[in-house]
Amino acid sequence: MLEVSNLNVQLGCFSLSNVNFTLNQGDCVAILGPSGVGKSILLKTLLGIVPIESGSIQINGANIVNLPIEKRGLGYLPQQLGLFPHLSVYENIIYSARAKKIPLSELSPHLDQLIEITEIGSLLKRFPASLSGGERQRVALVRTLAANPRVVLLDEPFTALNASLRQELWWLLMKLRKDKGLSILLVTHDLDEAYFLAENIAVFIDGSQQQFSCKKDLYYQPANKVVAKFIGIKNLFPAEIINENRVSCSILGISYNISKTLLKGKCFLGIRSEHVALRSTNDLPREYETRFAGHFKAIQDLGDTILMQFMTDNGVQFEIQAGSRVVRKYGLLSQGRGVIGIPERDLFLVQS
Amino acid sequence: MQKTEVINLRSTCILSAISVLALYAALIFSLSWFLDLEIFKQEIFSKRTLFSLRLSLITATVATLLAFIVAIPAAYGLSRFNFKFKDAVETILEFPIIVSPAALGAILLIFFNNPLGKWMQDNLITFVFAFSGIVLAQFVTILGMSVRMLKAAFDAVSIELETVARTLGASPKHVFLTVTLPQAKNGLIAALILSWAKAIGEFGATLMVAGSMAMRTETLPVAIFMRLSSADLEATVALILILVCFGLAALYVVRRLLKGTPNA
Repeated sequence: MLEVSNLNVQLGCFSLSNVNFTLNQGDCVAILGPSGVGKSILLKTLLGIVPIESGSIQINGANIVNLPIEKRGLGYLPQQLGLFPHLSVYENIIYSARAKKIPLSELSPHLDQLIEITEIGSLLKRFPASLSGGERQRVALVRTLAANPRVVLLDEPFTALNASLRQELWWLLMKLRKDKGLSILLVTHDLDEAYFLAENIAVFIDGSQQQFSCKKDLYYQPANKVVAKFIGIKNLFPAEIINENRVSCSILGISYNISKTLLKGKCFLGIRSEHVALRSTNDLPREYETRFAGHFKAIQDLGDTILMQFMTDNGVQFEIQAGSRVVRKYGLLSQGRGVIGIPERDLFLVQS
Repeated sequence: MQKTEVINLRSTCILSAISVLALYAALIFSLSWFLDLEIFKQEIFSKRTLFSLRLSLITATVATLLAFIVAIPAAYGLSRFNFKFKDAVETILEFPIIVSPAALGAILLIFFNNPLGKWMQDNLITFVFAFSGIVLAQFVTILGMSVRMLKAAFDAVSIELETVARTLGASPKHVFLTVTLPQAKNGLIAALILSWAKAIGEFGATLMVAGSMAMRTETLPVAIFMRLSSADLEATVALILILVCFGLAALYVVRRLLKGTPNA
């Protein structure tokens, strides 16, 4: 479907280098990264607003680099939505038909279905200024989809909404994807949004693509320390590869066997905060071979989970996340001390 | 900042603003010293005044429309595209704003005395001491200002709206007509009215190119000049009041149109 190969972009002193990813028909790829790393520039490059230095952008095998914006078959939903304020909701959503001189009767079945799914039928006569945030999002989505784009580019369209409305729209987008077979390229800095909507995620940091993988691989095997930190892994400890089957981490005082790795020399050993087990006494199950006693340095109740900073007796700090119910049920925080256990199966290595 | 300091700053600024109003109000009010309602009535309905009024309205309208035909694409180009010599073009556009209209008129007159200008006058159209000369003088005077105001109106239209329209399948021309122009509408109308009002009040360049011939090239400002030259103060006041009314009406409409925008 959409294939971006070896794409390089230079815009003033900012550059995007060596971008490679593939979006298959009916899939969603998330371009994930912090603000200012060039995610929106990448979308503008795909649209043809920003020229490319080198590389190719193909849709169904055909290079679209030299095509004007309106011929690329890309739908675009920017963060500000871009609803035309001087047109009613209905005029907005039939804009593409008028622009392409398509009779409305041809568009009608597709459009009626979109209006029904998104429940905007009662808004058609209103103007964008009179709509709520969620209504505006739905109208903008319908207008984008009414044009029948081959790929939909979403540039952080849900950022300005509250959490509940955002999730409601994620579900709606998933339904539209299923019903209409949409192919979506989503730009976001929100990890939850990327995990919810996308099958594959490309992580961008400082203008370069750090990783492109399925979300499971990103979760369990971040490509490097920068990606690991960006996706929220706090427990990273310097380690050394002894040979392709063994790693040692002096700060934790452990060494263990690993399956064959391509990493060499110095690296980082990581474990997600939700994979660290916590008990008030040393009664952890057998699979938690590595154990540390220590005390809680800070505790933050997040509602459904509790986030804790745990300092081991030999001075290594861990971040731990556990379900609130479990923590309360076992009185894990009552003594101010505890024992944490780390299962080898959840440890991973990243390049420094 | 202390509360008293804030109050002092506020009072000083408001007082300055009211002083500006008082200055212009006093100047306009001073006209009443020579305002004779009988003469005023006679003067504004006289054949000569009506001619000046009609001539000013027609020339200003033609000059403004011609200026807009050139200014709209030029302003859009300057607002949206980067090209070689863009800075030079923008600087030159300010030329008619900073140069005296009399100097602009003199430049035009000198041009029509060089071989190319003479050839144009002999074979194409006569400008000097003619209706077309008035239009040309007004056109040249307002063009730079029109481009600048229109560029500001186009700058205020989000490029993102245009991009979205293109992704919906619209050609650049369709986007310009269905998104950019409607979005810039208020700014465009405001620019049109201000340019037209400026053209109506244009004097220096008109006098240089078209001269001051009664019932021929006598626009309203030229008529004021001619009445004042012959010490006919009552008639001068009547004509000034007509011009002031046009100007204030134009400004009022523009303020209404731009209400709520940063330019208001």
